[in-house]
Amino acid sequence: MTLQEIVHLYNRVGFGISPSKAKELQSQSRAKIVAQLFEASRNPAPLEIDLSELRTTLRGVKMKERKKIRALFKESAKKIHELNKTWLYKLSDTEQLLVEKMTLFWANHFVCDDKNIVHFQQYQNTLRKHALGNFKDFVIAISKEATMMKYLNTRQNKKQKPNENFARELMELFTLGRDRYSEKDIKEAARAFTGWNHDLMGNFLLHRRRHDYGEKTFLGKTGNFNGEDIIEIILQQKQCAQFVCEKIYRYFVNDQLNATHVNEMITVFYKEYDIGKLMRFVLTSDWFYDTKNIGTKIKSPIEFLIGMHRVVPMQFEKERELIYLQKLLGQHLLFPPNVAGWKGGRSWINPNTMMLRLRLPSVLLAKGEIALDEKGEFEDDFQRFNNKRNRQRKLHVTADWKVFLSNHVNNTAQELQETLIVSPLNRGTKEYLEKLAGQDLPQYCIQLMSLPEYQLC
Amino acid sequence: MKRRDFFKQASLASTALFLPKFVSGFNLIDSAVATGKKLVIIQLSGGNDGLNTVVPFRNDIYYKKRTSLAQQKSNLIEITDEIGFHESLIAHSNLYNNGELCVINNVGYPNPNRSHFRATDIWHTGSDANEYLQSGWIGRYLDVTKSKSLDALEVDDSLSLLLKGELTDGIATKNPQLFFRTTHDPYFKNVVSHYDDAHLSEHNLGYLYKTMVTATSSAKYIYETSKTYTTKTSYPKNEFSNQLKQVAQFINSGLQTKVYYTSLGGFDTHANQINKQKRLLKIYDGAMAAFIKDLKAQDTFKDTLVLTFSEFGRRVQQNAANGTDHGTANQVFLIGNQLKKQGFYNPMADLSNLDNNGDLKYDVDFREIYTSVLNNWLEVDAKKVLSKSFTGLNIV
Repeated sequence: MTLQEIVHLYNRVGFGISPSKAKELQSQSRAKIVAQLFEASRNPAPLEIDLSELRTTLRGVKMKERKKIRALFKESAKKIHELNKTWLYKLSDTEQLLVEKMTLFWANHFVCDDKNIVHFQQYQNTLRKHALGNFKDFVIAISKEATMMKYLNTRQNKKQKPNENFARELMELFTLGRDRYSEKDIKEAARAFTGWNHDLMGNFLLHRRRHDYGEKTFLGKTGNFNGEDIIEIILQQKQCAQFVCEKIYRYFVNDQLNATHVNEMITVFYKEYDIGKLMRFVLTSDWFYDTKNIGTKIKSPIEFLIGMHRVVPMQFEKERELIYLQKLLGQHLLFPPNVAGWKGGRSWINPNTMMLRLRLPSVLLAKGEIALDEKGEFEDDFQRFNNKRNRQRKLHVTADWKVFLSNHVNNTAQELQETLIVSPLNRGTKEYLEKLAGQDLPQYCIQLMSLPEYQLC
Repeated sequence: MKRRDFFKQASLASTALFLPKFVSGFNLIDSAVATGKKLVIIQLSGGNDGLNTVVPFRNDIYYKKRTSLAQQKSNLIEITDEIGFHESLIAHSNLYNNGELCVINNVGYPNPNRSHFRATDIWHTGSDANEYLQSGWIGRYLDVTKSKSLDALEVDDSLSLLLKGELTDGIATKNPQLFFRTTHDPYFKNVVSHYDDAHLSEHNLGYLYKTMVTATSSAKYIYETSKTYTTKTSYPKNEFSNQLKQVAQFINSGLQTKVYYTSLGGFDTHANQINKQKRLLKIYDGAMAAFIKDLKAQDTFKDTLVLTFSEFGRRVQQNAANGTDHGTANQVFLIGNQLKKQGFYNPMADLSNLDNNGDLKYDVDFREIYTSVLNNWLEVDAKKVLSKSFTGLNIV
């Protein structure tokens, strides 16, 4: 593979690649490099923080002990921030790039949030477990997650009083897309999911008395369907394969769909619904490496942050600052804006986030200053909310340039540029960069990262 | 030529010098609208207790449900025979007496949401309770009128959903000087100036460069225009007053921006509400008094409409911690001297007819207010912005 193709592949399934690693891979074939990516992702390491204490308390607690429960909730909310941080650091040093990138994709497909850390952590790892597996198993597993059943009110869905929220989103957001079913289909599907619930620890259970065992007619089929049957029937629709393939194409290949490519993907995906097989097809196809697909996607804030971090490792002293940063950039992991998730693409960029992105390399890596006052939280009391000052500040971040220097000891400025920037460079910018190339490598690196071109991958 | 016009022209000229070719056709400033109408939106964030703000002091249910929180008549500023304003709302009672305030009671929407985040999104986007929109009504106003980013400013460091459009987003800045300094770092200047337009057009890279140019040139325009005005009005010393002072400076310096947004937080009074709310309303009212005085001194008040809302009101029944929990409908204040309806637009909420949660049932859909403001004040077809048809109210 050419250097550019290798960088492209690693940008899309990971967060970039170092010049030396890219050079090392150059002698290998596309199939082999892709096979290695799959091999590395075979047994995904779970995203985990220590919850043993919380679990023990949770087992002992009774519903009547309101004070204890409230304290538990508070502790749990704190732990969500810890999980957020652990996830970010996991992304920055994982070798299991493909499965982690897929997990990010699915987390924005099966969108949920949860204040219960025990349930939410389990949810995150169900995403990992199925990220490259079978889509049908995935949909069934995710539908039975406590986090999902709370988020979309499956728990409140009873034979006596059905709640349609989950049935609607299952079709609209997870499998078919809007307007591919009738309101009647939603009602019938909701009946099939009645009685689904979970215990305190987040295990699935079926309340038989709340489940509707009667006959349902759904998408033209009639029977005594349960939830699994409904999912099976949805997946028989080719539209479902199309819906998922289009979303994967937009995320991994190009914002603009190409009907021929997507149709090839559907042929591979339908009816087996093997996600790994689909991804292998995409990543080994010639069109994935078309120049019009290289360097054209706007990085998500997480791709942007993690990408920098993988070049120059950073240590955040204050957890809070890492949270602001995600909020200001517009993507706070584990805190999606709504059930539809982040819209992505150009919606990441407005005048404020653009300037922030361009400033950030110097703020994070060269102790630059930035106006970074946090918006008040609703729950904050007045003092905290109003204690915002109009000033620049430095972040409490330490950049480890030693790691950068030892990783790039044999690299020229040109080589660094070829791995950091894949978008075509405009002539004027190129000339400008040539003037800067005499600087030391860390300085040059910061300048490359401050270019609009660096926002693309 | 007035001094501020000179500055505007001068800044345009110098901005144009380093603009790449592909954006030189892109007009940043619409000179035609520089004197147009202004809308200032204020959010009392956290859910202000409306029932203790505009108080029905003859209502027995109110006193029954608020055993320790009810405002006594003697503490209130009496407005009508039945309604009093919270003691902190001194400026608002003057505005009321001058016919410069319209109170719209019991504003809400069907199936109200009681989460701060979701309810704020609903108010910002103008969506139904079960609809998830990714753009705010002010952002879509920018889209529909083909306005520029700087036509909607949020006085804060990051941008709220309210100002995000499908095509154009507004700009957030709390301190124009700082914003200017950040965007006029020598490095960016160099990057922008070395750009040519060989492969831009609709490509994402073109979009990034355009956005960058929008940011730098807007920052320059905002900074250079707004610094031509220095207020003589003294404002109370707190952050919210500073924000309104900043908005007044923008308006009085002749900035073309049409919509401003800022918020005051801390209204989530689940416990010990009395003192907290008193202090917060005093800050809100005091800042508003100075702001209006400042605008009146420059004769810009006549072109300014202020809309104050909160994402929800609070439960009628107080809780055991001398506070109130998240509720539903609430009042909206409109301030201006071109109001078609002055005083109370409609009667207070009926406390004897509550929903299953013990919350108010709304009378006026908030999007009726947006519709009137869009149609009659900002002079744009509200239907295009809200994608739904409301009749609107005869208020502005």
